[in-house]
Amino acid sequence: MSGIGLNAYLFVAGLLFALGFFGVLLRRNTLVIYMCMELMLNAVNLALVAFSRFNRTMDGNIFVFFIITVAAAEVAVGLAIIVALYRKRRTVQVEELNALSN
Amino acid sequence: MNPLQLLAIILLTPLVSAGVICLFLRRGGYWASAVSVVAAFVIMVLSFVFLIQWDGQTLTGSLTWLQLGQDYSFDLGFLFNHEAATMLAVVAFVGFWIHVFSVGYMDDDKDKGRFFGGLSIFMFSMLGIVLSDNLFMVFVFWELVGFSSYMLIAHYWDKDFAAAASKKAFIVNRIGDFGFLVGIAWAYHYYGTADISQITAQIASGQSGAVTGIGLLLMCGFIGKSAQFPLQVWLTDAMAGPTPVSALIHAATMVAAGIYFMVRVFFLLTPFALEWILWSGAIMTVFAGFCALGQNDIKKTLAYSTLAHLGYMATAIGLGFPGLAIMHMAMHACFKATLFLCSGSVIHACHHEQDMFKMGGLWKKMPVTFIAFLVATLSISAVPFTAGYYSKDTIIAGAWGKFAAGHGDAYAWAFGLTMLGALLTALYMGRMLFVVFFGKPNSEKASHAHESSPWMSVPLVVLGWVLSLGAGWFVYHWGWADGVMNALVPADVAQFMIEGYSHAAPGWEGAHHLFEESGAHWVEYLSIGCIIGGFLFTFFFYGRGPAQDRLQVKAPGLYHVFERHGWFDDIYDFYVTHIQQRFADFVAFIDTAVIGGLVVRGSGAVAGLVGMVSRSLHVGSIHGYVYWFIAGVLLFGAFALGLLR
Repeated sequence: MSGIGLNAYLFVAGLLFALGFFGVLLRRNTLVIYMCMELMLNAVNLALVAFSRFNRTMDGNIFVFFIITVAAAEVAVGLAIIVALYRKRRTVQVEELNALSN
Repeated sequence: MNPLQLLAIILLTPLVSAGVICLFLRRGGYWASAVSVVAAFVIMVLSFVFLIQWDGQTLTGSLTWLQLGQDYSFDLGFLFNHEAATMLAVVAFVGFWIHVFSVGYMDDDKDKGRFFGGLSIFMFSMLGIVLSDNLFMVFVFWELVGFSSYMLIAHYWDKDFAAAASKKAFIVNRIGDFGFLVGIAWAYHYYGTADISQITAQIASGQSGAVTGIGLLLMCGFIGKSAQFPLQVWLTDAMAGPTPVSALIHAATMVAAGIYFMVRVFFLLTPFALEWILWSGAIMTVFAGFCALGQNDIKKTLAYSTLAHLGYMATAIGLGFPGLAIMHMAMHACFKATLFLCSGSVIHACHHEQDMFKMGGLWKKMPVTFIAFLVATLSISAVPFTAGYYSKDTIIAGAWGKFAAGHGDAYAWAFGLTMLGALLTALYMGRMLFVVFFGKPNSEKASHAHESSPWMSVPLVVLGWVLSLGAGWFVYHWGWADGVMNALVPADVAQFMIEGYSHAAPGWEGAHHLFEESGAHWVEYLSIGCIIGGFLFTFFFYGRGPAQDRLQVKAPGLYHVFERHGWFDDIYDFYVTHIQQRFADFVAFIDTAVIGGLVVRGSGAVAGLVGMVSRSLHVGSIHGYVYWFIAGVLLFGAFALGLLR
């Protein structure tokens, strides 16, 4: 416990979030983008747990449970969509999924 | 059968006839004529049965047509009283004989179905005006008579002037009817009901007073339909329709419906409104009389004569003698219908030639028509003991009586103007009589003229020989020659006619009484002098049946003013083409440039611009979306954190 303060946790959380963020922006593979989104979620979870720990309240933990539950549901739906897309278009590259442009 | 049911049958008979004709007999020829004439006959018989049974009590009956909430309801119903009795008798009787005349007059017409259907529609709506018990219903039928009038004016629709005349009648009547409708709405708002008898009761009990504005606005309807100043321009053009239509609609009944309605709402008229009516009517008698002197067309002359006599009726109302107005309306219906039918007979005999100065010498060729015309001429000029004398002379005398009783100078003016109107009547009627029937035929058509068929001559005998002469005799109880002539009219009919005239107190008797009190017998002599003078003058001036109007030769300037009827048409034409058109251009500019250009297209352009911008964002790349999404999140986050203020 000693030596590792709140700032360290928040730093790691920010780093994770930034990783996920730029991953979503820069990668072209749908699955990778998807994993990056999960990374952002978990970054936020980490920050919340850290706040919860250092503020001596349970609010953050409750938030995290909710987020994890919602993320699980989201994974079920999102992965289903991606798989369906792959079956239909035979690709997971986002720039080829442009049927609605123009 | 109760009386109201009988009234309903009378009202619905012409509607059924019109329906049958318009739906099944559009190309029916004489079948259409038969249906229409039979319907008119049924109306006449039932009306007289009803009137002879009628006990003189006011009849009312209505049913709710629309119920709006708790307080507002529109009723439909009948109100039958003395003035309605007189009007019903006139419409049914004159209407029937004109239907009969039409069969003969329209024998060479290819559109008999349309014509007789229109006549039946007209009979239905006219009876509706007579019987209606509330202002809304009157307005509905008012528009219906208008419709049938426009439709029949444009009967010869392939002639430009007939179509234009119909359009003119329609547009001019819009002006009057707009005021009429506003007046009805105001009355409904003010009295809380549109039922005539209820409003009468409210005013009589002092619960609410009469309002000048309502009276004047309702008068707008009368001014439009009765073609009084300043909306008088349509009636003469309306002569483009077939002659029976001119007789029935534009002389005897519809144009008198305005008068009838004014009598019906007489209790609504304040002294100020009455004075207004008095002036407009008195001026019209003179103005139209002068204009009639400048017309060559036989029907247009008669149309101006109609205007003058509607002016007399309006004067009677303005004097405060509504019963007298109703009486003059009944008399006028008889002799004016006769005059129109005679002109129709003459026109038909001369193969649709309407220029008086192309006729001449017709008295030998068409004796029945000539005698009817002569009697009606004497009657309209108020020669003593003819029908017109009893009403027209009483109006003039009543005006003098009002003045002598010290009611004000306006009555003296009214007396002078109506007296001048009487002189003018003798002048233009004499001119017509001599030019058409005396001298030698002035054209090929006139020299081959012969008496019309019985379809046309029988109505002339009934309306002309009998009624134009005797319709007024039973008014004086002593009648003429100690009541010998009273036998002409059934006592019951005489009874309700007398009551009809004197019911709307003070009616005919009131006017007569006032005049007797003033004791100015010179008025009688003056009016007789005017008539004799007028006829003598026209005899010397036109007695040889000239081929050209001698007034036009002798005083072309004066004649031109009469002919252009005081330039009213030109003034309206200038107004419409210059003033109103400029204003309309201005409004159109505002509409296209400001409203259309800036507001409507402006808002469209803004939406378009937004669309242009946002379209460029939707390029179909997921990264683009995510990029903008994140940018938005960052922006909002920055706001939330207070970094941007």
